[in-house]
Amino acid sequence: MSGERFVIPIGPQHPALKEPSHFEIFVDGEQVTGATLRLGYVHRGIEKGAEQRTWTQNLYLMERICGICSHVHALAFAQGVEALAGVQAPPRARAIRQVIAELERLHSHLLWLGVAAHEAGFDALFMYSWRDREVVMDLLELVSGNRVNYSANLLGGVKFDITAEQKVRILDGLNFIEERVHYYLGVVNTDETFLGRTRGVGLLSREEAERLGAVGPTARASGVTRDVRVDAPYAAYSEFPVKMVVSQQGDLQARFVVRLDECFESIRVIREILNNMPESELVVRMPRRIPAGEVVSRVEAPRGELFYFIVSGGGDKPERVKVRTPSLANWGTVLATAPGHKLADIPMLVAGIDPCFSCNDR
Amino acid sequence: MTIGSMFGDVFRSLFKKPVTERYPFQRPWVPERLRAKVVWNPENCSGCQLCVKDCPANALELIVVDKASKRFVMRYHADRCIYCAQCIESCRFKCLGFSTEEWELASANKTPFEVMYGRDEDIQFLLERAAQACSEQPVECGEAK
Amino acid sequence: MTLSLHPLVILLIFPGGLFLILAGLAYEYVDRKLVARFQNRIGPRWFQPLADLVKLLSKEEIVPQGVQRGLFYLLPLFALASALTAALYVPMVGLKPAYTFQGDLIVTIYLLSVLTLSMGLAGASTVDRFALVGATRTLTQLFSYEAPFMLALLGPAIAAQSWQIGNINEFAGQNLWMLVAQPIGFLVALVGLMGKLELPPFDAPEAETEIVAGALTEYSGRGLALFRLGKDIELVIGLTLVAAFYLGGLHSPFDFILKTLGLLLAVALMQTLFARLRIDQVVGLWWRIGTILAVIQLIAIIAGRYLGTLIF
Repeated sequence: MSGERFVIPIGPQHPALKEPSHFEIFVDGEQVTGATLRLGYVHRGIEKGAEQRTWTQNLYLMERICGICSHVHALAFAQGVEALAGVQAPPRARAIRQVIAELERLHSHLLWLGVAAHEAGFDALFMYSWRDREVVMDLLELVSGNRVNYSANLLGGVKFDITAEQKVRILDGLNFIEERVHYYLGVVNTDETFLGRTRGVGLLSREEAERLGAVGPTARASGVTRDVRVDAPYAAYSEFPVKMVVSQQGDLQARFVVRLDECFESIRVIREILNNMPESELVVRMPRRIPAGEVVSRVEAPRGELFYFIVSGGGDKPERVKVRTPSLANWGTVLATAPGHKLADIPMLVAGIDPCFSCNDR
Repeated sequence: MTIGSMFGDVFRSLFKKPVTERYPFQRPWVPERLRAKVVWNPENCSGCQLCVKDCPANALELIVVDKASKRFVMRYHADRCIYCAQCIESCRFKCLGFSTEEWELASANKTPFEVMYGRDEDIQFLLERAAQACSEQPVECGEAK
Repeated sequence: MTLSLHPLVILLIFPGGLFLILAGLAYEYVDRKLVARFQNRIGPRWFQPLADLVKLLSKEEIVPQGVQRGLFYLLPLFALASALTAALYVPMVGLKPAYTFQGDLIVTIYLLSVLTLSMGLAGASTVDRFALVGATRTLTQLFSYEAPFMLALLGPAIAAQSWQIGNINEFAGQNLWMLVAQPIGFLVALVGLMGKLELPPFDAPEAETEIVAGALTEYSGRGLALFRLGKDIELVIGLTLVAAFYLGGLHSPFDFILKTLGLLLAVALMQTLFARLRIDQVVGLWWRIGTILAVIQLIAIIAGRYLGTLIF
């Protein structure tokens, strides 16, 4: 331990963090020499609460673990319970689940673009990308009735259908978003001041990413080819597959590019599904008591691989629900790449993995 | 390698109207599927209480006035409701729905949040019974409320 | 003394004191409104900066532990006092400067630096981590932009053959706009002004997402109100100086409002277009590009004058 340690505490209250956590950054002037992290400030005991609610009630509890990725949490839970009961949701329900999941990915990536731009001090990009995100929020409200926590899933299917005129509105909205994302990709790749903050910052090699267990766009930006939608397709991904977006660059700029390119993939897949929607009923009957067993359910949240482990004892309440969120897996990369950077890069590094503290604290 | 790559957009915004919705002065557009306050129609209710069992927030209570003739009163706690629409799906007879008009539910006290749905005479009957119980024993008042 | 008003009126009401404070608040409003419109949103209403000032003045001032009490109370006063004093030497509202003497250009620039120095000192005299890092960055930025900014203001002084702001103003009004005659100098002066005022992209010293509020983190209530007021007045004075030198001098109130607001439009546009520069990038930018450009401009002016005397 050198005697010159100067500790800058970032959090629990800090303008850079949207949710509380405690970083201790050891600096020497402006050079960062080490970092530690403490989580748990938003722990709400959701896993324990899940043991005292019925399966249907738990669907809504799981949805509220996170506001930005709420649909995929409910999706993972519903899929796990359906697997335990030996029931498969009908094709149209699975397609609608995928449409909502991809719309959620769009809105999450646009939100992240704004937040990361704000951390870099580029408020114009922040305001513009959030203005365009409103289009996606309006589409989600049109289809489901809520802007956040859409509650689209039921155990056994989905609650609502996408009508023909909603389809037209969605396609129009997607055209607008596609054009704007092209523009933002141009800004991110060519703006000199922005590149000065992102190029070469937070360089993570492929071996490091695999050793630390990084998931999602953070890992894909370092060349790790891992995507649950491609490796283990769920919902309707076997009928409407997605291409994996990978970059070999490994720095912060690559993470921007990977996420924005994923937006294009999402738009393409939503268009494909809406034009070829399978016909079937929306919901299949599920028993109230789920047979005993254990199941692992994995989905690709906008931040990475989301992992649910559900144990049923045969009753109408689960015995154990364990949630492993992607942000928890990505923290190691921040702590490993922080030393050697300047203090001003730390908020950008933290924002680069798209952290969701409510997710990982449950 | 450009400096000021957002120049076109930024400069043009000076001549465009701001996109901010001026909410209290302009009523925004709401979609027809908006999930606002839950409304209950007592016509077809069979008293199965599936909606009460399935509600994640314990926001619905079914008070039985007379089981044989299917007279029920539903007490809906708007402050506990999370607007998830599970109750609407659980009901087999389509008794529940969402009102798309009443979505400005903020209030300065708690009274508007406890809503009683049902036929008027049923609600009247319940209130009279509560008042009667109150006058007999003070303890009962708390329960019947 | 060139204005025919009683000295106390000049100091307290016009063009110093009360008028200057209100002008500072008005310019802050215009700046915030323009930045908001560039970002496609509405922005604050006209009385927002005044409301902020009144609110801050009415709040409790918390003196943190470990700070030097005397410095803590005095530094905001120094900042405001230096900003108010600097206004006496510039042509406010297009009238002649209230007081003028040989070399008042240097004194004005020095007074504006006293403001930045007191902010740096305010941050350095606490034990708060964020304030210490912010103070370091403030002083680093002060050392970087001061030289090119001074050189850029020197260009018109050499052209006018005088160190008095009043004379330079006259000269600028009678000849071709220096914006056209010394474009590089104008660019350096404009960007240097943004560095001096700590406006984005040079707001690393008070980067909100990295070090909360930089050097001013520990201030609240009255101290914060006075610092912010000092910064607003610095905005007005900086705009006046650059407009007087490069945009053809200020000779009437209408002239003043038109030119300073036009300059403010350019400043607001540049605020929104760029991401925040890291402090080491700021230093690199200024000491490499800024100084070289300013020196090139100076050489061009001196060569031009020499050639002029040779030919004519």
